[in-house]
Amino acid sequence: MTFFVDCIFLSVALLTTEPHFWQSDLTVLLPRSLPSSHHLRSSNQAPSTFDLPRFPQKGLRMATATYPPPPPYYRLYKDYSENPSSAPQPPPPIEGTYVCFGGNYTTEDVLPSLEEQGVPQLYPKDSNVDYKKELRSLNRELQLHILELADVLVERPSQYAKRIGDISSIFKNLHHLLNSLRPHQARATLIHIMELQIQQRKQAVEDIKRRREEAQRLLKDAFVTLDGQ
Amino acid sequence: MDIISQLQEQVNSIAAITFNAFGTLQRDAPPVQLSPNYPEPPAAAAAATTTTTTTATDGDATAAFPEQPKQLSADLVKAAKQFDALVAALPLSEGGEEAQLKRIAELQVENDLIGQELQKQLEAAEKELKQVQELFGQAADNCLNMKKPE
Repeated sequence: MTFFVDCIFLSVALLTTEPHFWQSDLTVLLPRSLPSSHHLRSSNQAPSTFDLPRFPQKGLRMATATYPPPPPYYRLYKDYSENPSSAPQPPPPIEGTYVCFGGNYTTEDVLPSLEEQGVPQLYPKDSNVDYKKELRSLNRELQLHILELADVLVERPSQYAKRIGDISSIFKNLHHLLNSLRPHQARATLIHIMELQIQQRKQAVEDIKRRREEAQRLLKDAFVTLDGQ
Repeated sequence: MDIISQLQEQVNSIAAITFNAFGTLQRDAPPVQLSPNYPEPPAAAAAATTTTTTTATDGDATAAFPEQPKQLSADLVKAAKQFDALVAALPLSEGGEEAQLKRIAELQVENDLIGQELQKQLEAAEKELKQVQELFGQAADNCLNMKKPE
C-alpha cells in the first residue's frame, strides 16, 4: 500500500520538479527496489515529512515505447499546394459487401426475410399486408399457444419442445412484422418534418414582408414630417 | 418512446411474463400425491409439529401458492390487452409506400418554391436595410457637419 503511494508521489514529483524529463514519448517508470524510507515508515516512528526517493537517474529502469510513425503516404502530397491533381485521390466510398476485422458487412441495409432465417412465416405474404390485423391475430395465436404449453406441461410433460418451438416462431414473426414497419415510420417522420419546415418558411416569409412594409411606412412618415417642417 | 418501440417492448414483456410464470410455478409447486395407494410422506407430519418458526416464510409461500397462477395469468392477460391497445393506436396511413413517396415528392416541390420566395424576400429586405443604413449615415454626417465647431 505504501509502495503504491510512493509511486504516486514519484510521478507527482517528476511532473512538478523536472518537466523536461517527461518527454513526449511514453515512459513507464518502474522502481527497481523499494525506497529506503519505506523501512522507516513501517516502524512506529512517524516522520515529519515524506521522504521522497532520490531523483531517479540511477535507481530506476525505464521501459520506453514510442508512438508508431505516421504512414509514409505523406510524401506523395509534397506538391499539393501548387498542383492539387498531382497527388492521388482519396479512395472512393465502398459499395456492396466489404470485409472488416474478419467479418462480412454490407452497405445496403435490408431487413432479412423470415425464410432466410429459417423461420416459418405465419402471416400472408402479400405486398400490402394489413399490419394491425396481422399483429392482433398473432397476439391471439400467442395466447392460445401459451395455454397449450401449460396444458402440455401438466398432461404430457415430455412433448414441450414442439410447443416451445411454435411459441418462439410466433415471437419471431411478431418482431419481424414490427421491424418491417420501421421504413414506413421513417417515411412518415420525413413527411412530418417537411410539413413543419414548409410551415416555418411560410411564417418567415410573412414576417419579412410585414417588417419591410412597416419600415417603409416609418420612412414615409419621417419624410412627411421632414417636409412639413 | 415511439409507438413501434413500445410495441416491441410490450412483446418482450409478454415473453418475460410467460417464462417467469412457468418458471416460478415449476419451482414453487408443492408435491402432489400421485395415487391414494402411496402413504402420506411422514416427513411432512413431523415437520409440521417441530419446526414452526423457521418454516414460517416457507409456509407463507406454500399457503399463497394457489394465488400465484391467478396473479401471473392476470398479468399475462393484461399485457396482451395492452399490446392490442397499442396496435389499435398505430398511426398507419393507408396507401403504402408509393403514396408516401408521392407525398414526399410533392412536399419537396412545395418546399423548393417556398425556399425561393423566402430567398427573394430576404435579398430585397437586405437591400433595403443597406439603403436605410446609408441614408442614416448621411443624415448623421450632415448633423455632425451642421454643428458649429467650438
